[in-house]
Amino acid sequence: MTRRLAAALALVLGCLLWVPSTALAHGLVGKQDLPIPRWLFAWAAATVLVISFLALAVLWPAPLLERRRESKLLSLPSLLDPLCGSLGVATFATAVYAGLAGNQSASENLLPTLVFVLFWVAIPCVSFVFGDISRPFNPWRAVGRLGGWLAARVARGTLPKPLEYPRRVGYWPAAAGIFAFVWVELVYSGRTDPRSLAVLALVYAVVQWVGMSVYGVDAWCRRADAFGVYFGLFARLSPLRWARRALFLRPPVAGAAQLAAVPGTVALVCVAIGTTSFDGFSLNDVWNSIAETSTDAFRDLGLSPGNALELTFTLGLIAMVGLIFAFYRLGIAGMRTVDPSRSARALAGAFAHSLIPIALAYVIAHYFGLLAYQGQAIGFLVSDPLGDGSDLFGTADRAIDYGWISASAIWYVQVVTLVVGHAIGLALAHDRALVLYGNSRESVRSQYWMLAVMVGFTCLALWLLSSQA
Amino acid sequence: MTVVAHAGHWLAQLAYLAPLVFLVGALVYGKWKARREARSRAGDAREQA
Repeated sequence: MTRRLAAALALVLGCLLWVPSTALAHGLVGKQDLPIPRWLFAWAAATVLVISFLALAVLWPAPLLERRRESKLLSLPSLLDPLCGSLGVATFATAVYAGLAGNQSASENLLPTLVFVLFWVAIPCVSFVFGDISRPFNPWRAVGRLGGWLAARVARGTLPKPLEYPRRVGYWPAAAGIFAFVWVELVYSGRTDPRSLAVLALVYAVVQWVGMSVYGVDAWCRRADAFGVYFGLFARLSPLRWARRALFLRPPVAGAAQLAAVPGTVALVCVAIGTTSFDGFSLNDVWNSIAETSTDAFRDLGLSPGNALELTFTLGLIAMVGLIFAFYRLGIAGMRTVDPSRSARALAGAFAHSLIPIALAYVIAHYFGLLAYQGQAIGFLVSDPLGDGSDLFGTADRAIDYGWISASAIWYVQVVTLVVGHAIGLALAHDRALVLYGNSRESVRSQYWMLAVMVGFTCLALWLLSSQA
Repeated sequence: MTVVAHAGHWLAQLAYLAPLVFLVGALVYGKWKARREARSRAGDAREQA
């Protein structure tokens, strides 16, 4: 029986190894020069995760990350915060002005590249290494703090205290904000129009200032400023923690374990993973086929072609976020079988922080190519931010070098990032399980299902990436 | 015939799912086996009693 099973497995493997050569005959050859089929990377990644899981079970018998352990690295001058804030406000004002008054071609205006490459992709990567450095540069926070300071001076102590930020609202505004941003990036037909982007940036700023004036700058930035919260999530993986007057050093990824499971936390990380996944999926043949059918159906209902396409992509985006949420909750449901007395909602909140490194791995893996190539455009766009032919820093003549990194190298970076991100997620979940379940045996049993979630996310990401290649 | 002709595409796509299917299958099988053993132990205990 075992021999028959082994022979059947060998036959299936043999067939699958033959399959990619058929697929590659359809015009994908030449982009990547890989020694093995791409799907085999998914198998290898899954194997690495299983081995990591076993290693954690054996070598990590007690919680290490839950207790806050950090040491002060250096004191920071009090002027640093307003200085960084001024720089952030100047950059924001320049970018908005470029969008409103500059050349309306997306490739010649600074704003689209600044928003979709530098702001959206580079800051999460930088936050992972250097901590939450986006916070002092946050232009909305800087203006909010300045406004609060001026108002306090003018009112001479009669200014009413800000309202208490509602606990039940938690991270929901941030999750909605990130979803709205990705909707603009992937769905909105005017996403490449610099003027529309500038207007949306101003609308976002006004919403932030209204929120800050009602609930206070710090409370609003901590929970509801979508980008501040989003970048702050990734900064929790960094060994550096920036406070207003000091810089602290802590064990890498330990900051994630301090994430408070307030309402909206699971939604926020699921939106982060789901929206990135949809970005990859929207380039996939499967999605193209679904989108075509769906768009035709909406057009038959009387929608214009543009609106039908936007509605299709909106529904796809919502469905992908829902799918990621459902998959995570399935893992949580499996975890509950170990101890049914724990509620699924409490467990989902308790393990939400383990999705942070996965969300970051998805961002790096999906956008590394964009950052590697389009990121170079910032070099010449800063010299000509309006796209009117100026050359402020003498770099306007530069061009993107597409040869500095090969497609194969990008693929390897993506695979390694995904495996490392998911392995860190496993470690965070294992550490939390040790705290919750008390003993190593129960905690390892509870994490079998989390392992399945991590393997599922890894395979999904590699499938999405390979279908774009 | 179209399905067979495009097997090169969809079989390779399905291969990405294999590790997850294998892992979930192993987990479900483990649960089922543990329950069966618990039931048979309970039966043995009843017989001895």
